[in-house]
Amino acid sequence: MPDVNVTIDGRKIAVPVGTLVVEAAKLVGIEIPVFCYHHKLDPVGACRLCLVEFSPGPPRPQTACTTPVAEGMVVRTQTAMAVQARADILEFELVNHPLDCPVCDKGGECPLQDFTFRHGYPTSRIDGPRLHFKKPIPLSENIALDRERCVLCYRCTRYYDEVAWEQELTTGQRGVQSYITSQFDQPLQSIFSGNIIDLCPVGALTSRVWRFESRPWDMTHTPSVCSKCAVGCNVNLWQRRGQLVRVTSRENNDIDDGWICDRGRFDYTDVNDPERLRTPRIAGARATWADALTAVANGIKGKGAKLGVSLPKDITNEEAFLFRRLLDGPLKGAKVKMHGRTALPAPAPTIETLRIKEIEDARVIVVVASDIEDDAPIVNLRIKKAVSKRGAKLIVVHPDGVDLDRDPNTVHIRNKPGSAAAEVRKLASHALLKAPGGPVAILFGDGHGSEEIVDLAKSCRELADAVGGKLMPLYRGTNERGALAAGVAGWDSLDGVEALLSWGPPPTAGIPKSVKFMAAWDHLMRPGNEKATVMLPATTFAQRQGSYTNLEGTVQFLRPPIEVDPPLKESWEVLTELGQALGMALDYAGIFAIQREAATAIPALTALAQPPSTEPAPEPVLIGPAHP
Amino acid sequence: MPDLRGSFGEAPDHLLTRWFGTPDLHRLEVYESKTGGYKALRKALLEMPPADITGEIKRSGLRGRGGAGFATGTKWGFINRDAPGPKYVVVNADESEPGTSKDRYIMENSPHLLLEGIMIAAYAVGANQAWMYIRGEYDKPYRMVVEAISEARAKGYLGPKPMGKDYPLDIQLYRGHGAYICGEETALLESLEGKRAQPRSRPPFPAVKGAWGRPTLLNNVETLATVPWILNNGGAEYVKLGTEKSPGTRLMSVSGNVRKPGVYEVELGQTFRHVIMELAGGPPEGRSVKVFWPGGSSAPVLPASMLDTTTDMEALAAARSMGGSGGVIVMDDSHCVVRAAARLLRFYAHESCGKCTPCRVGSDWAVRTYDRILANEGSRVELGILERVADGLQNGRCLCGLGDSAGWVIDSTFRHFREEYEDHALRHTCNVGAVAAHA
Amino acid sequence: MSTLPEHVLDEIRELPAKYPQHRSAVMPALDLAQEELGYLTPEAMSEVATALQLDPGYVEGVATFYTLFHLKPIGKHNFYMCTNLSCMLRGSNEIVDHLKGAIGVHEAGEVSKDGLFSYEEVECLGACEFAPMLRLDHQYHYDLTPQIIDSLIEERRNPPPAPLPPKPKPRARKPKSA
Repeated sequence: MPDVNVTIDGRKIAVPVGTLVVEAAKLVGIEIPVFCYHHKLDPVGACRLCLVEFSPGPPRPQTACTTPVAEGMVVRTQTAMAVQARADILEFELVNHPLDCPVCDKGGECPLQDFTFRHGYPTSRIDGPRLHFKKPIPLSENIALDRERCVLCYRCTRYYDEVAWEQELTTGQRGVQSYITSQFDQPLQSIFSGNIIDLCPVGALTSRVWRFESRPWDMTHTPSVCSKCAVGCNVNLWQRRGQLVRVTSRENNDIDDGWICDRGRFDYTDVNDPERLRTPRIAGARATWADALTAVANGIKGKGAKLGVSLPKDITNEEAFLFRRLLDGPLKGAKVKMHGRTALPAPAPTIETLRIKEIEDARVIVVVASDIEDDAPIVNLRIKKAVSKRGAKLIVVHPDGVDLDRDPNTVHIRNKPGSAAAEVRKLASHALLKAPGGPVAILFGDGHGSEEIVDLAKSCRELADAVGGKLMPLYRGTNERGALAAGVAGWDSLDGVEALLSWGPPPTAGIPKSVKFMAAWDHLMRPGNEKATVMLPATTFAQRQGSYTNLEGTVQFLRPPIEVDPPLKESWEVLTELGQALGMALDYAGIFAIQREAATAIPALTALAQPPSTEPAPEPVLIGPAHP
Repeated sequence: MPDLRGSFGEAPDHLLTRWFGTPDLHRLEVYESKTGGYKALRKALLEMPPADITGEIKRSGLRGRGGAGFATGTKWGFINRDAPGPKYVVVNADESEPGTSKDRYIMENSPHLLLEGIMIAAYAVGANQAWMYIRGEYDKPYRMVVEAISEARAKGYLGPKPMGKDYPLDIQLYRGHGAYICGEETALLESLEGKRAQPRSRPPFPAVKGAWGRPTLLNNVETLATVPWILNNGGAEYVKLGTEKSPGTRLMSVSGNVRKPGVYEVELGQTFRHVIMELAGGPPEGRSVKVFWPGGSSAPVLPASMLDTTTDMEALAAARSMGGSGGVIVMDDSHCVVRAAARLLRFYAHESCGKCTPCRVGSDWAVRTYDRILANEGSRVELGILERVADGLQNGRCLCGLGDSAGWVIDSTFRHFREEYEDHALRHTCNVGAVAAHA
Repeated sequence: MSTLPEHVLDEIRELPAKYPQHRSAVMPALDLAQEELGYLTPEAMSEVATALQLDPGYVEGVATFYTLFHLKPIGKHNFYMCTNLSCMLRGSNEIVDHLKGAIGVHEAGEVSKDGLFSYEEVECLGACEFAPMLRLDHQYHYDLTPQIIDSLIEERRNPPPAPLPPKPKPRARKPKSA
């Protein structure tokens, strides 16, 4: 469809059909203030803040957030009527709003403050008592609610209902007595609850983990990638004085669509633990790096299969590559166990994996042997978007109830554990898949070990071929796919090894009794690390340079906000020096050198040699006919 | 004739109420045999193409009787009968506008008249299923409509082949649970979908995306109850009554300080003086009319000096008021306008759904300001706040008409009775005789 | 141990089939629960939610919106007193004052000591030609006077005795054997 020409405050612009006026205005640099509008939620026109005048149109102001552009439309945001309407609405919002700015965490990044300065009345005419509520109310361990500050834009309850398909957050009463509440005052349970903090345009929903920590202007932040699971949601990591103080979402429409789950948002405080390890130790006594690494090398070389190597789920591609070199060299024959990985095999190199963004375009989505809410939470949200906003059909093959059952139209085939492959083979003749009418998305997990994985993968492959679908293996480990590509995602048992090199948190099953020498690289003295003869202080994800490959195969680069200050060393540095201590001729000037070498050595990691792409230009938000 | 408080029996302007009062009129056999009931449905189903039915309604110029007064035939025409998939007729029986009881009058006296209208409308717009949303407090009308529907089903007028026509028709009921806002079209649809009743942004309009996302025709009870007469007598006959832009008759519930409150069928174009002083007997002995609401509490007030305003929509618009729901509330000179306005603002604030900022906050701010004024704590500041709130509630600021109505109460009482406001706010007195104990 | 008896829950579970989308069943379901228990407790609302496969929060949001859903105990007989404009102009406020004294409460929402009565002031009930009026036990009562209020209360305080069951017919006498 051809673009539509509109004039906004005298500025002409051509935008795609279906663009909302409020988005078109952004493109010519005009701010129309909004509270209830959010580009990821259905527009409602509830707060009335975005009133502007259109012609042709009725002689009254209309909401810019619910009106798509029309050919030849003339929008005026600065007429006396529109300016006064907006100022009046802001005044109404402030009637009951408490004078909390000095103690409110939102101050400094608060749309209510900013819009009042730019669009509101300069003086207050409000006199008289305000509405009072008990405050703050803990909605969960991580989120606090302040009902007095709430402007009832309903972004939080709409997000919960539209995006997460849950209603544990709801509105009680009506009219001016309305308030946001968790169901029957019980703590919020959802793994997606934290996003309401980012959505809330005022300080009503705040993070308890970050409460009273810092003002926005005291922090710096870097655009990085979450380290908690294989989805690789883009995040902003905020630091202040060398502490990681908060994690917020950074919109990447290809992967996370602007959301992150609570694991990524709140599970970071261990990074700031004052008990963090900072110097290498041999048998409890402080040592230099050189001595420590020599001790490690002596302890692990020449052991062959008597050496065990434990790797964490969030090992970076660069670390994985270096481990590959060590395992091909002096550590040949060692038993390798990567923790937190699934039983899924490496993806076949010639077959293209389904991309997360492509889930939205699928007509039928099949999820096998996985409760995605647990395994890859943000992919779960993308599936919900495809079903509720794009009309996709959903089939789940799983022995138990899953979160996607919230939609009564979900076809849930309950297989006996172990027989998922058989059920998948029957699906080719299922009513919904006989003529899907478009692409089919097939996502499969490992059923947490209950399924025979090779056969399951094969049956999914056959189904994809039969119905015109693409596959996505649901890895759980953050960089499971990258580690598989590097060949270090081991699955060996560590029982019986005499030497153990533990990289990251200690093995979850405990240290095997046979271990006589253990070297550990970790940032906390976790249970198990006390058995280590050599303890190397690790950097955390907030300091880590490197990259992850997410479950769809996209390589993403981390950008840490916190520097690695001596005596800490970067992980690739440590591995390089360890290799030298083991007699290898390893010499890398920096991480880029490692990335270039890895890119040539491992086909799946060619992206490492390319510089990260620039931030894409913002896309105007479309509704209606522009989408099929 | 039984004791009905309103119009009944034969009269040139008794189109709807002609047969009210007939014993057992609520029974299908009486409705059919004694009053010519279900003839219009037979004609519609078996003799007329659906487009012609809509055409007849258009010809009649009938306007919606719920409050907005939108041309009914035009509304029926918005539904694309040939679009695939189900369509619905939704009957707005939520009647909660203060001063309005005409829909209750129809449902209690002649439920089959309403059912007949619904069925004809459903056939005309291509719907097979009608949903009647009836307010939860209407226990007796609910029982009577349930009974009437089962009679119609038993007779084969509702079902897979009504009157032998291969076009399934059914009517289901859905009960409201106490929210005035459900009288608003899109809020009603939200409530029907089992949600908190908050109006939707329009477009899309219900004719395109209504109940459960399907094309929907929403009409008021009285509007649909008028349909059988129009089909039986022709749209051209309906136009002969009333005025050019407001043809026909309408039921007006007259209440408040009058001797004969009741639901009267009135030819549009009659004066309010006729309705209030003649039909409803005027104010009690020794009192005189001070102010009246011509169309429910949401219609801007008119002072007694404007009693000769006629009841048609055009005249009311020219008088800066509206026809609204036809609920005429009459207040005599023994009552205080400020207290009445305060009570109405309390109503609007209580019924506000809370979705849009100006109505949610403004109506409550107005209530608190009225309270101050009535507690003799007022001043010029409070008057200014009321004016400013009224301004903030109107002209597209709010998502639906509830906010506008609240604004009109303040605006219109200020316009015609500024003295009384100033008495309370500036002089801390009330110059009216008997004052209600609390507003 | 559920708050709602099984037969009520069964009825609720059958409701969604009557509507094009299952959420529409919420209001009639809450109605059934309230009829059974007199008012809606959080437990009852959660059970309704489970029976309809919805989150309890959703049901709570709907229940708190509508005034006919009671979230606190009410008297066995709850007086819904209209005090909107038409009724106010015809003395509803005085009727309410009389009612308060007659049932022995100080304010709306308070339940009388014998648990029999409570009242609330409601908005227009759609019977303005009969003002002042009220709704009680699913019926409207018109043209209220203090006497009518008193008799409505009395009928419920001391209900007339239930009609006696019909006397059993005397058994036919066995014929004496010869």
